[in-house]
Amino acid sequence: MTLQTSATAPSIPRAVIGVIVNNALVLALITVFAIFSLASPTFLTIANLQSILVNNFTLLAIVAIAMTFAVSVGGIDLSVGTAVDFASFAFVSLVLAGQPVAVAALAGLGAGAAVGAFNAVLISGIGISPFLATLGTLFIGRSIQQLLTNGGNPVYLPPSGIPEAFRFLGRGAIAGIPVPLILAAITILGATVILTRARFGRVALAIGIQTSVVRYSGIAARAHVAVAFILAGLIAAVAGLILSATVTVYIPSSGSAFLLNAIGATFIGTTLSRLGRPNIPGTVLGVLLLGIVANGLLLTGLNFYWQQVGTGLLIFAVLALSFITRRKASA
Amino acid sequence: MSAALPDETGDAIHLDRIVKRFDGALALNHASLRVRRGTVHGLVGQNGAGKSTLIKLLAGLHQPDEGRIEIDGQAYDRLTPHRVEELGIHFIHQDRLLVPTFTVGEALFLGREPRITGTPFLDRRLMQRRASEILDDYFGVKLPNSALISELSTAEKQIVQITRALLDQPKVLVFDEPTAALVRREADILFRLIRRLRDEGVTIIYISHYLNEIEELCDTVTILRNGEDVATLPLGETSAAAIARLMVARDIADMFPKRSVTLGKDILSLDHLSSHGKYQDISLTLRRGEVLGLTGLLGSGAKDLIRTLFGLETATSGQIEIDGQPARSANPAQAVDRHLALVPEDRRGNGVALDLSVTENITLSSLKRFTRLGFLDFNGERSEADDLIRRLEIKASGRNALVRTLSGGNQQKVAIAKWLSRHSEVYLLDEPTVGVDIGSKVEIYNLIGDLAARGAGIIVLSSDLAELIGITDRILVLFRGSIIREFVSSRTSPDDVLAASTGSSEVLRHVG
Repeated sequence: MTLQTSATAPSIPRAVIGVIVNNALVLALITVFAIFSLASPTFLTIANLQSILVNNFTLLAIVAIAMTFAVSVGGIDLSVGTAVDFASFAFVSLVLAGQPVAVAALAGLGAGAAVGAFNAVLISGIGISPFLATLGTLFIGRSIQQLLTNGGNPVYLPPSGIPEAFRFLGRGAIAGIPVPLILAAITILGATVILTRARFGRVALAIGIQTSVVRYSGIAARAHVAVAFILAGLIAAVAGLILSATVTVYIPSSGSAFLLNAIGATFIGTTLSRLGRPNIPGTVLGVLLLGIVANGLLLTGLNFYWQQVGTGLLIFAVLALSFITRRKASA
Repeated sequence: MSAALPDETGDAIHLDRIVKRFDGALALNHASLRVRRGTVHGLVGQNGAGKSTLIKLLAGLHQPDEGRIEIDGQAYDRLTPHRVEELGIHFIHQDRLLVPTFTVGEALFLGREPRITGTPFLDRRLMQRRASEILDDYFGVKLPNSALISELSTAEKQIVQITRALLDQPKVLVFDEPTAALVRREADILFRLIRRLRDEGVTIIYISHYLNEIEELCDTVTILRNGEDVATLPLGETSAAAIARLMVARDIADMFPKRSVTLGKDILSLDHLSSHGKYQDISLTLRRGEVLGLTGLLGSGAKDLIRTLFGLETATSGQIEIDGQPARSANPAQAVDRHLALVPEDRRGNGVALDLSVTENITLSSLKRFTRLGFLDFNGERSEADDLIRRLEIKASGRNALVRTLSGGNQQKVAIAKWLSRHSEVYLLDEPTVGVDIGSKVEIYNLIGDLAARGAGIIVLSSDLAELIGITDRILVLFRGSIIREFVSSRTSPDDVLAASTGSSEVLRHVG
């Protein structure tokens, strides 16, 4: 029941409201797209659209998907950046030490998953709230990186010593499509399947919605929460591998740059979905929305420092949109 | 409040031929409610009869499409919740929220905190003192002022709510299902309070599914059915049975449709089960096809016993066996694997997930059956849901409807359907019909009969003694952690069971 019913509200046909409610994100995306196409002549060029995908989308999409798994069980993962960093550090260090790229990559994934497993122990084992547990991991992770790098020195790969496979991962392309974008697409697809079609995904969403009912249904809720956080670490590690392969360097704590945008994209996707549930397509559209706004504002020649104002306004606009459409739908 | 009272016999509230539509559906069809000042006026009706719509109109949460609302003889066009409160009308809701991390004193004065004179600072000491004065005067209880709301029992939370309303010296108090979560003794305290308020001149509107309460407490009762007021009767001239007939237009004789089932083998047995400080030395046997009643006051240990069986608590000593196998469960997952099912009292908290669909709720516990290589078999889930929706006559707009949109009775059917899907064999039903309308109650009783007939063992924990006697074979009464009496349901009365559960000669503690 809504507290207030607006009997005198202008009557928009219910069908139209339905379309808006069900496709709020897509409509928001089209609007932003249209605005920037008009505002900047360079926005709607192939080169720029490619640049959005490569620079503003690929890595953030993967990290935001990691975040979505943590959010799906009703938590949050403030240490996704830590998993990115640990994966990147393991990957670059082992390649530097002459290990095969495949071995180094696996170690990188393992390092990310280990960050997730550490969170899982804190959250499911000890019972610390996800927010505090992952905040602790974030701080500890920063310190460890400082210690490992003598106070924060980057680990460079010498230009001569970069294996072909490493270069391919970061800069390669298959049929003209950049490898990082392909990896992002695979991650998106896999995560979508897990969250919507696998039993794990169903249970995870149920936990996020009402944990006690899941427990009272005889399901080991804590184990599922643990898996969700390990998955988050593992997926963030994929972004860590791509990041270091692209820039051929590991810079301590660089992964934390993704954190706030990943949270933003995940909650934009959740807020604007019909049922208000965390979902991968929503998260991906949220990443695109943030990416387009960042890119578009840059192209309009606005001072760089204004960019985050744009992001903030975007989030308010999303909230307003969801509030209005929901009220209309339930009126 | 110094508002002069007009003539003593006038109407405090008069809702006159109210019509209200939602999305074209008629919720109220020229329904009237006329409440005389200084009386306790009952309002009854099945879910969907229009009770809550009528009350929301009075609260200013909805506006009527047609009809008049008069308060103290004065007609009001557009009521707002704020205006209603100014007029001295207050509402006590069953699930109205109190901030759980506030202390009793803070919760009582939320939004009207007394200040230390001349400063913006809260006068905590004054808050706490006034709170305990009111609590002591009206309820004769002392709640530790610094106690957190989250530490209080349901009954105590309700006392805090009522006290909050009393601070405003209300003219009209509306109680919406106030006893749903109270045991009999706690309800008695509430009834004494209501009578005292009436004698002090407060007008009471009392909404309840429990007709015996209406019979006991009210001066007049209005019965709603299908959005119309089918009758308004003085209680002296009617009975609970007559009221029930008017509500459902069906005879009360088939209210408790107990089926006779031939009992099978033992399915569950407890042997000297004890949990320190909660219950001691509980031994009992449940047979297939048997419906066993369990009752006791708050703190009798009955609830803890049920929780132990389902793995939510652990026993300190003793044995549990299911089908002859040891079955002490460390967690619900183990219990469920042993074919135990719990339909918990807190339906909306633990029984169903309100924001999952009917299908998702029904298959939640049995998801493994609908999984192939880790992936969900949507078709299998759909046909399972459709099957159970049909069998249990769950009324929902579809299998994808969120459970939030269902009535209490239908939510409860979903909570039971979940275990039918899991093929459970021992059902623990904790207050299975709390907050459920009469029509759905009968359907749930029938369902319990069906389960027994199919060879399940059923334990029903209920504080509605008429219900307990009506649907069970045997009743065990717990008192201070021990089984003190066993009754054969067909040969006992609510009075006998009640006497046993209060420990007859024992002097009892106060509320909570």
